Amino acid sequence: MMLLNVAGQLDPSDSKRHITYGFQLDQPAAVMRIRFAYWPKLLEDDGQAMEFIMESIDSYVAPEHQGPIREGWRRYLPLKNLITLSMDDPNGYRGACHRHDAEQSLFLSEQEASEGLMPGKLALGEWNVMLSAHAVVTERCSYDLSIWTEEADTA
Amino acid sequence: MRWLASELHTHTLHSDGRQSLRELAAGAAKLGFDCIALTDHNTMSGLGECEQVQQETGIVIIPGMEWTTFYGHMVTMGLQNFVDWRKAGRSDIHEGISMVHGQGGLAGMAHPFRIGSPVCTGCYWEYEIRDWNDLDYIEVWSGTFASVKPENQRAFALWTERLNAGIRIAATSGRDWHEQKHTDEPLSVTYLGLDDEPGTIAQQAVRALAQGRASVTIGPVVTMEAESGGTLYGIGESVSVQNGADLIHLHVKIDFSVRQTLWELPEQDFSLKITGNSGTLAQCAAGSTDQIYEFSIPADGHIWARAELWGIVKGMRTMIAFTNAIYIS
Ligand SMILES: [Zn+2]
Ligand SMILES: [Zn+2]
Repeated sequence: MMLLNVAGQLDPSDSKRHITYGFQLDQPAAVMRIRFAYWPKLLEDDGQAMEFIMESIDSYVAPEHQGPIREGWRRYLPLKNLITLSMDDPNGYRGACHRHDAEQSLFLSEQEASEGLMPGKLALGEWNVMLSAHAVVTERCSYDLSIWTEEADTA
Repeated sequence: MRWLASELHTHTLHSDGRQSLRELAAGAAKLGFDCIALTDHNTMSGLGECEQVQQETGIVIIPGMEWTTFYGHMVTMGLQNFVDWRKAGRSDIHEGISMVHGQGGLAGMAHPFRIGSPVCTGCYWEYEIRDWNDLDYIEVWSGTFASVKPENQRAFALWTERLNAGIRIAATSGRDWHEQKHTDEPLSVTYLGLDDEPGTIAQQAVRALAQGRASVTIGPVVTMEAESGGTLYGIGESVSVQNGADLIHLHVKIDFSVRQTLWELPEQDFSLKITGNSGTLAQCAAGSTDQIYEFSIPADGHIWARAELWGIVKGMRTMIAFTNAIYIS
């Protein structure tokens, strides 16, 4: 049964922002599946990337060390969008998937779960899924997210 | 005292590591570690197999989590329950730290000066700190061959500056270990001094760090005791001095026998330094054999002291080991 099916678009101003979607689990289920994808992953425009990198160097590297690091700026290529997903069930946190994969197929069940998520009862009630936009470096970044359940195998 | 060879910053497949906990622990055992802290990004789900892996590998596993946020990475360890990393805004990290403490955990700044977003998202510490006493430690040596890296030298300098300001805060190393890949670069080890109080070894290790009983090295372990008025004080403890004119006697021990064959330093005259709030308080040459060195420093005007071992590594003159501070009051 489909529980959530959303899509959205972000831009660099959405960096450092959490986006939360609530959904309702009304019927007992054996497995909850999550598919999350965002694109593009990489900032292909080296000129734009260089600007971001130089800004980072300005802000974060001590002035006396900036010279050689500026020269070697290409070692930070390619810059990437990073959006991570975390889950909350009606009783609390169910984990996060902090990794760079731009396409993730995840699941939750009582005994097992995808790495990062915690196995346990699929409690009925209000669930939340949170997307954390750690960095959006491309002009646009699209995502889609769907969550559905599968019944216990009755065969 | 038993000094537990620890790696306090690691990741597995449960976040962005490329290793299972089993592979990580087995790899740690091979490198001569006794203990790791599992500090996956924003999840503690990797601890599901913790008990079993501890038994299989003999490695002590401290539960932890690296808060991987927009404004900084904060390593937490020693807590059993999850504390929510998502609510902390730039000016309210203290609420988060209090909740970590409330769960019996410790909180440390991870790689505070690593280049930040978007190159490495949230990697540079940007949280406003209103009370430094709240933080338990600073990870001053991050990655491999840590002591020569400018961002680690900045972190080390930050630690020294905080000590000078009268803050009692520990310093650690952390490889930020993501995968089983051989490196020729020196690995840092944080040795945690275990007490005899009750609890598991993991709990003793966390308590050691909480009390600043830690010594960091890429080779030999350096430990220090201070003697004043007939009483001995260990690393992390506070020497109480009655009279400013008193001398504090420091016994500094260098032990080359640890993790034998797993590290190598060229034969040389090392330099052993005592550093405190007024800079270098004393120094002497040190050879490559186990030995205890004695120093006397005036109590007057000093609020802390640590030992540092310096030498040539891979052709560079650098710090090889340092103790945490002994405080003077
Ligand atoms: Zn980190
Ligand atoms: Zn890390």
